Amino acid sequence: MLSKREWAWGYLLIAPMALGLAVFYLWPIAQTLYLSFTESGVFGGYTWVGTANFTELLGDEEVLGALGNTLLYAVLVMAGVPLSIVVAALLNVPGLRGLSVYRTLYFLPVVTMPAAVGLTWRYLFNGDFGAINYLLGEVGIDGPYWVGDPDFAIYAIAIVGIWSTIGYNAVLLLAGLQGIPRPYYEAASIDGAGRLRQFFRITLPLLTPTTFFVVVITMINALQVFDLVYLMVDLKGPALSGSRTIVYLFFEKGFVQNQRGLAAAIAVLLLGLILVLTAIQFRLQKKWVHYE
Amino acid sequence: MNRPRTWPAHVLLTVGALVMLAPFAWQVVVSLQTLPDSLRLPPKFTPSWQWSNFGDVFRSVPLARQFLNTVVVAAVVTAGQLLLCSLAAYAFARLRFPGRGAVFLLFLAVLMVPGELFIIPRYEIMQGLGWLNTLQALIAPGVFGAFGTFLLRQFFRTLPRELDEAARLDGANPLQIYWHIMLPLVRPGLLALGLLTVMWSWSSLLWPLVVNTDPEMMTLSAGLASLRGQFQTNFPILFAGSVVASLPVIALFVVLQRHLIAGITFTGSKG
Amino acid sequence: MRFRLPLAGLLGLAVLAAGCGSSGEPAADGKVTISYAIWDKNDQPSAEKIIAAFQQANPAVTVKLEITPWDQYWTKLQTAASGGAAPDVFWMNSLNVGMYAEGGIIAPLDESKAEGLPEAVVDGYRHDGKLYALPHNVSIPALWYDKKIFDAAGVKYPTADWTWDDVKAAAEKLTDPAKKQFGILAPMWDQGGFYNTMIQAGGHVLSPDRKKSGFDDPASIQGLEFWTGLIKDRVAPVAQVYTDTDPIQLFQSGKYGMYYGGVWFASTYWANPEIRERIDVAPLPKGPAREAVILLGLANAVSAKSEHPQESAAFAEFVSSEPAQKILSASGGGALSARPGTQDGWFEAFPSWHLKETYDASMPHGVPYPATLNTAQWQDVQNKLLAEAWAGRRPVADVAKEIAAQMNEILAKE
Repeated sequence: MLSKREWAWGYLLIAPMALGLAVFYLWPIAQTLYLSFTESGVFGGYTWVGTANFTELLGDEEVLGALGNTLLYAVLVMAGVPLSIVVAALLNVPGLRGLSVYRTLYFLPVVTMPAAVGLTWRYLFNGDFGAINYLLGEVGIDGPYWVGDPDFAIYAIAIVGIWSTIGYNAVLLLAGLQGIPRPYYEAASIDGAGRLRQFFRITLPLLTPTTFFVVVITMINALQVFDLVYLMVDLKGPALSGSRTIVYLFFEKGFVQNQRGLAAAIAVLLLGLILVLTAIQFRLQKKWVHYE
Repeated sequence: MNRPRTWPAHVLLTVGALVMLAPFAWQVVVSLQTLPDSLRLPPKFTPSWQWSNFGDVFRSVPLARQFLNTVVVAAVVTAGQLLLCSLAAYAFARLRFPGRGAVFLLFLAVLMVPGELFIIPRYEIMQGLGWLNTLQALIAPGVFGAFGTFLLRQFFRTLPRELDEAARLDGANPLQIYWHIMLPLVRPGLLALGLLTVMWSWSSLLWPLVVNTDPEMMTLSAGLASLRGQFQTNFPILFAGSVVASLPVIALFVVLQRHLIAGITFTGSKG
Repeated sequence: MRFRLPLAGLLGLAVLAAGCGSSGEPAADGKVTISYAIWDKNDQPSAEKIIAAFQQANPAVTVKLEITPWDQYWTKLQTAASGGAAPDVFWMNSLNVGMYAEGGIIAPLDESKAEGLPEAVVDGYRHDGKLYALPHNVSIPALWYDKKIFDAAGVKYPTADWTWDDVKAAAEKLTDPAKKQFGILAPMWDQGGFYNTMIQAGGHVLSPDRKKSGFDDPASIQGLEFWTGLIKDRVAPVAQVYTDTDPIQLFQSGKYGMYYGGVWFASTYWANPEIRERIDVAPLPKGPAREAVILLGLANAVSAKSEHPQESAAFAEFVSSEPAQKILSASGGGALSARPGTQDGWFEAFPSWHLKETYDASMPHGVPYPATLNTAQWQDVQNKLLAEAWAGRRPVADVAKEIAAQMNEILAKE
């Protein structure tokens, strides 16, 4: 009898959230799947077109370009994870004072609105008046038009992507480092292993479960990059072809050109991409992640 | 064990911190420059105290209104998340009912789906309700979240069983137990979720950009983006807007960073 | 222990959420309110004055001004139009008018009210022989130049008689690589740039019946090469420069001698005291075949679903009438009024510049901005391919032929 009442309470308490999730999450997923098989009219209405959207997308240079840009961006940002490991390892140096000050500073880009961050970097990367090219010029390097040149734009965006995730990743990795039992290091140092050797022989291997988690999260987030592209790149200029990402394309098709059916298909494509790449990551982890 | 030297770490960390900070410093400097000063060669690294940029940015977009919008949206979304997520999380963690596992799995599945899949149908829901260009269009989807439920469930699960049982013997019903006993004990979790929600809500761009096209109803994020459309590369004005938009969250973070980091670490370790 | 339910909190939230929206409007008492949507914030002061003048003459009508930034304007309008809730009167440009007329979103207007307005602009708003919007301003491209740079190099200022050769010769003399100073800016810009030169060279963007592309015409190609040539000769900066910094602002840095800009930049440049003194403006130089200036004007369209079609049409007509056009000019904002003879107030707002001379010399050679039903689609092709020529990756002639081929395909489907 008591348990019957507990059931009722259980359902009652999850009801508001479940209802909201059904309306704003589950129903939209189903609806997007449906819309991806339709074409939308200029002034409203949808017609069923079968798989036409997907055939169109996969044969479209622009889409393939966006796919390439997105993957390149994701790889570049994932390549920044080692930097976070270095920062985390430095923060984990025993006896380090001012840990929370450093942590705050490194975390600042994470909490700052990406719109503001994007604008700031757009100026820093300006080919003529930007501070970055000025500094490069001081050491004799003629810097490119970072965000104006389709060949460089995605790299510029990736640099900002790395800059704005270092802190977040470092905090996660630091927690992982703190979870490595001290005795391992003590044993190693009795064996005469130097700190660098300890880092490579103990720290890195034992950190791999956290590193794996960080890499996967970084990848999933990177595949959905939009804000930085929207704010850093001149949306009418040629640089967009070298920096248009999948989500930007989704926005462009869905809400600039009002081709909602096509946009839905792009969203479905993105879901597929994320699922496949995450699955691959989980497959690969057996090769490099050490679980105790 | 002898104490290792820490100064090499300090040197490296300081250099890194300067790189992290430089863009912010530069933003503040340029926000106080005149347009010609911002287009000098070599770049001018000092402000020209052009305070009127801040006035200009408030005049050219309804920045004060957008600020208020952002605060209201962040506050209501956060309050809603805290209440609804904690209710559901409590039920998932502490009550037994048939289908609990399956429903929770459904919640987790939502977590895996990229946000872009929700946007078009949500937009049409809002259009159908006549809610385009309203604050509730920004609030309604935001108060529901699978992540918050998941996060708080982890916190609720760490509490000892005896707590509920004792209260139950006192004749309290589950809602009372939730409110008076459990909720105060998961305060760290609520604080972390609250901070994360404020920050997400404050920063999010794509949904606000799509659903509210009227500048009066925009949040700061979308407002800044449209400011860029208006001023192209007039950086002093753009940066004045950026400074105004990012300062409150930075301040909030600096004050409460310990709690936020605890929350993030928690998600990491339980992921 | 005493327990209280957290229901109050729940209720509070619900009330808060509900309270954010819905403000009930009381029923009108014989008075009519119409909405007027525009995108340019700079036009707010003049629009407000024009509305006040209209309301004074029509006390029963209230006009509500709505400003939506350009980036969101068309998306918002399209959404509203799909729901049958477009504003009563709204700004239209010649690129979109065909789609809105075809979709039955906007209503045809009285052709006679356009009498006296520049034909090159009015014609852009005709669709199937009917006029769908009334122009209220006109955008004229013009040659801005930096007097300080001209003086330093000892080059005479541009005049109305200048030709392409004069531009090239001056650009060479004004260029100084040591100072990172260039004679001219050569952004890839259709309205103020290459559409003009394509026609000035004797080519065309669209055939007269708007069914064929003119990009493969050798004269059109010559018009495009005018620009790429300037970059190739290093008298203009490379293509990426313009995407990195808006040319309007680049010109203000004092490192560029000339700029094919628009007369409508006047208010922006005037606001910068440093620039005000050092620059001036002249009409576009003549091409090898003819004189031509692309004219683009904005217009007011009336929603076909408006509940007050008469009042709305009357307001649109009023905005293009002489009194309203004079109000627009007198505000000295970005826009130049469309109706001839109403611009004096505007010229007087920028007394030291040769704007009146530029206007007088340009208007007789006005040609309409090319547009069809799917302008956006073929312009997309045009911009993507031309970017390769501007970047120097492919010869202009190749790119132009490819544009023509793709454009013809798009035009054939219209």
